[in-house]
Amino acid sequence: MLFIATVSMTSAAALAAPPAPIAIVIQGGAGVIERAKMTPANEASYGAGLAAALDAGYDVLERGGTSLDAVTAAVRIMEDDPQFNAGRGAVLDHDGDAELDAAIMDGAGPRAGAVAAVLHVKNPIELARLVMERSPHVLLVAEGAEDFALEQGMALVPRGYFRTEPRERELEEARRAEAAHAAGTPTTRAVASGAENSMGTVGAVALDRSGNLAAATSTGGLTNKHRGRVGDSPLIGAGTYANNESCAASGTGQGEYYIRQVVAYDVCALALYRHLTLAQAAHEVIHVKLRRNGGEGGIIAVDRAGNIAMDFNSVGMFRGARDSHGRREIAMYRDAAPH
Amino acid sequence: MYAIAIHGGAGAVPRATLSGERERRYREGLETALDGGYAVLEAGGTSLDAVAAAVRLLEDHPSFNAGHGAALTRDGAVELDAAIMEGRRLRAGAVASVRHVKNPIDLARRVMEKSRHVLLVGAGAEEFALEEHFTLVPNHYFRTAERLEQLESEQRGERVSDLVPPAAQGTVGAVACDSRGDLAAATSTGGLTNKRPGRVGDSPIIGAGTYAKNGVCAVSATGHGEYFIRAVAAHHVCAAVEYRGLTLEQAVHELLHQILRALGGDGGLIAIDRDGRIVMDFSTEGMFRGARDAAGRREIAIY
Repeated sequence: MLFIATVSMTSAAALAAPPAPIAIVIQGGAGVIERAKMTPANEASYGAGLAAALDAGYDVLERGGTSLDAVTAAVRIMEDDPQFNAGRGAVLDHDGDAELDAAIMDGAGPRAGAVAAVLHVKNPIELARLVMERSPHVLLVAEGAEDFALEQGMALVPRGYFRTEPRERELEEARRAEAAHAAGTPTTRAVASGAENSMGTVGAVALDRSGNLAAATSTGGLTNKHRGRVGDSPLIGAGTYANNESCAASGTGQGEYYIRQVVAYDVCALALYRHLTLAQAAHEVIHVKLRRNGGEGGIIAVDRAGNIAMDFNSVGMFRGARDSHGRREIAMYRDAAPH
Repeated sequence: MYAIAIHGGAGAVPRATLSGERERRYREGLETALDGGYAVLEAGGTSLDAVAAAVRLLEDHPSFNAGHGAALTRDGAVELDAAIMEGRRLRAGAVASVRHVKNPIDLARRVMEKSRHVLLVGAGAEEFALEEHFTLVPNHYFRTAERLEQLESEQRGERVSDLVPPAAQGTVGAVACDSRGDLAAATSTGGLTNKRPGRVGDSPIIGAGTYAKNGVCAVSATGHGEYFIRAVAAHHVCAAVEYRGLTLEQAVHELLHQILRALGGDGGLIAIDRDGRIVMDFSTEGMFRGARDAAGRREIAIY
């Protein structure tokens, strides 16, 4: 049901010079995503959210738009969808607020923009893009970032906009587990630290008709996180990277490990320097290097030839891919087969 | 072989503009930090302790753009960034945009050792500092008359657009290799003079301004941070050595003089490999720097 592949019609024009490939890949977070825990309604709802983002991004590419616009469109849709851990419906920090991080990178240039620890920006990916396009900086954080948003004419929203009931329940649970942990009651450290929900992020990578690559990532980070904690998503090289000479990548996982291993850049560097295929490079980073250090999560990537990688060492990862060869798939479990 | 290298920023430091008295102060500050870090290594201490000691001394010295004497934001305040990383287990800690932490490098290290996070920013980072029993200091502790003059002169320069980047101002940093072959890197900065509040450069970003990986290299960068972030500069050097087999000199040279130059950014960096070999290179007019190793090398240089 959730694995949809269609083969596009071969037109007569295809007999002439093959058109440059276009492709987009999205992710909606990695973690404990198991069939046994998912109701059919949940599954359908996540699938629909992913499909909406994937198709919106692909439409931009198909109309001849840039990869930058495509990843922005896809990420914005997932930020607005309360199911995913970004924008509205992002996880809540220890103080009960959604503190948001986002980054975007244009493989041409390359140039980049990012924001971290913002509390009142409806679509952090749009602010990240403004940082890239309208400031000489790459990363702005906290109140300074919001001040820049206001200067750019962006309307801020109250913190309550981001809060949803399921996230409030998750925070309650994490706080209870934390209190129990502190009191010495046996509980898993993972629950106390919110690590169970730690791998939510949304992201997109794309290749456009002109051969330009772009990557974008947005997140609320960890449930019950310390105020001011910044993960890998807004850090260029760690959670987000794009360079027309190598690849575009967006990561989702235990951010601290991704930062320390500069994961997104490493996938591209391995592909470029070690002459690995994109899939091999992603596999090496996710299953060998990250595993060795105990880090969990996944990555999506695309290169200039339109090769796609979606890999993870967690139980599952919300993901989708669509390209001009007719591939269109949405998946969430390890085996991508239909439910 | 144990060894340490430090830097106190790169930029336009033409001899003519540096008075004898000022140059003497810079040299004295570099020497103190270099020898302070080296003493840790000589006593059998870790590279992590050595880089932390050297950077703390540079933070406390008013001539360098970190800690006391850091550059001022456009609001006349100080906002500090720092990161530290150890190469054995790839552990790292960083803080950004803090206003009341006397030695940001100590807080970065505490983030690495006492939290489950790598990067804390803004008021949240200061909240963590209080939880860890740091004593906060008022923001004016950092402000010096010289930095205020620089800010005023920059602001008189009437930067017309937010798109015009302010001049790169410097950073402090250290890299070291201890007798066990463990590598470490640390960087601390006040960022750009007249910067927008909330702007974070490459220093506290693991992989951009700071990186350490045993068996490969440790790197601390200084320069126009935005370019170093886009190039993932520190990790680029390590990847070029590890994946392509370049020498450390070649990797650093390629980054500074080809990749960053092509992007339009300049600056410098110091790097050390597992054998204690040191590379100090820059694309600017000068870089405040120093190196000392167990083989007897001890040098301080500016131009």
